[in-house]
Amino acid sequence: MSKIKVEACVSVASDTDIVNARRQGRALADHIGFSSSEATLIATAISELARNIVHYARDGEILVGMVNGDSCPGISITARDSGPGIPELKRVMLEGFSTSGGMGLGLPGVRRIMDEFNIESQVGKGTTVTAIKWKR
Amino acid sequence: MSNGVNDVNTKPLNECYAEILSDYLEHGNETALASGYEAARRALLDGCGVIELAVIHHEALRRLNAKQQLTNELLEKAGDFFSECLSPFEMSHRGAQEGTRALRHLNEVLEAELKRIAHALHDEAGQLLASVHIAIAEVVENLPPHTRDRFDGIERLLRQIEFELRGLSHELRPTVLDNLGLLPALEFLAEKVAKRTGISVSVEGKTQQRLPPAVETALYRIVQEALNNVAKHARAASVKIRLASAAQKVTCTVQDDGIGFVPQGEPGSEGLGLMGIRERLSALEGTLRVDTKPGHGTVIVAEIPLKGG
Repeated sequence: MSKIKVEACVSVASDTDIVNARRQGRALADHIGFSSSEATLIATAISELARNIVHYARDGEILVGMVNGDSCPGISITARDSGPGIPELKRVMLEGFSTSGGMGLGLPGVRRIMDEFNIESQVGKGTTVTAIKWKR
Repeated sequence: MSNGVNDVNTKPLNECYAEILSDYLEHGNETALASGYEAARRALLDGCGVIELAVIHHEALRRLNAKQQLTNELLEKAGDFFSECLSPFEMSHRGAQEGTRALRHLNEVLEAELKRIAHALHDEAGQLLASVHIAIAEVVENLPPHTRDRFDGIERLLRQIEFELRGLSHELRPTVLDNLGLLPALEFLAEKVAKRTGISVSVEGKTQQRLPPAVETALYRIVQEALNNVAKHARAASVKIRLASAAQKVTCTVQDDGIGFVPQGEPGSEGLGLMGIRERLSALEGTLRVDTKPGHGTVIVAEIPLKGG
C-alpha cells in the first residue's frame, strides 16, 4: 500500500467521537475533491469502522489521511484498536457470519464501498483496518 | 438540538427521521447526518425497504414544507441528508450483487464438475466395459460349448451396468443439452420422466437459436426440478412445458393438473425444490412466479432476461 500522510487522528470511544471522525473524513474528502456521494460513502466507511471500535474494543482511533496512487490521489481511513482482536478473520469477512445478519454491512460492507481494504488482527492484541478510496 | 444517536432506538422510524431531518436542515451538522445514517441502518436491519424509506423521507419533507416554505437551498440539503440515509442500502445492495455473482460462479463450477463426471462415466467407463465385452467374447470362443452359458449371465449384468451408467451420466449432464440445445434436451427429459412416472409430459416451444449456455443449463435444471416436484407431490396426470424466447428474455412455464398447494407467503419459507429454482434464477437475475391453490394444479413461470438482445 502507498505511503499515507495522516491529516487527522480522532480518538474513538463514543458516538460523539464517531461524529467527529466522520466530520474529519468528510472535510478531507471535500479537500481532495471527491463528489458528495463519494464523501457519503467515505463517511459511511468511517461510521462502520468506528462503531466496530466502540462495540468490540471500547476505544481506539481513526486516522484520516491522504495517499498518492499511481495516477490519482486518494483518501485513506485507518481504524486501529487494542481490543480483543478477531479470532476468525476469514469468516468475519464472509457474508452470513457478520453481526449484521448478512445484510452486507460491517467490514464486508466497507470493503465493497472502498477501493482498497486491508485488515490485520491479532487475538488479544487488537485490530487495524485500512481502507482507501481513489479520486478517479 | 438532537440528542444524537441514542433516540434512534426508541421512536418509530418516521418520527425520528423527521426530527433528525429537521435538525439537519436547521444546523447542517455532522451529528444529524450520523444520526440519520444510524437510523436508516437500523431500519434496514429491521427489514425496511428502500421505497419505504423514500416514502418516509417524502412525508417528512412535505410536513416540514407545510410548516415553513423550504428554500431551494434547504431542499438541496434535504437531498444530501436522504443520500446519507441511503448509504446503508447502497452497501447492502453491493453485497447482494456480489452474492449474485458468487452464486452464478458456483453454479458454473458445479455444472463443469458434473460435466466432467458425466463424461468420465459415459465415455471412459463405457469404453472399459466395451473392452470387457470383447475380452469375454474371446475367452468364450475358446471354451467348450456347454460351459459358455454361464457367461451369458455375466454379459447380461454387464449390459445392465452399461445401461445404468449411461442413465446416470445423462442425468448428471445430458450431452444432448450441449450438442443440440435446450428444447431437444427438454423433449428428451420429458420422455424419460413420462416413462418413469406414467405422467404425460409434453414440450412446446420454438428455438430460433441457441441460448447462452448458463441460461440453457439453468432452465434445464429448473424444469428437471419442477418435474421432480410434480412427480413427488402433485399427483398430476399431465404436465405441459412451454418455452418461449424473445429478444430480451426467455420464459419457461411448467404447468401441471395436480392437487396444487397453499402458496407460502415468504419466498424463503417454501420447499427446497422451489428454493433451489429461485436461487438458480436469481444468479441470472431471473424471476419466478408460482400460481397454485389446492385442487387447481400448479403453474410455475421462470423468466430470465437475455443480455444484449
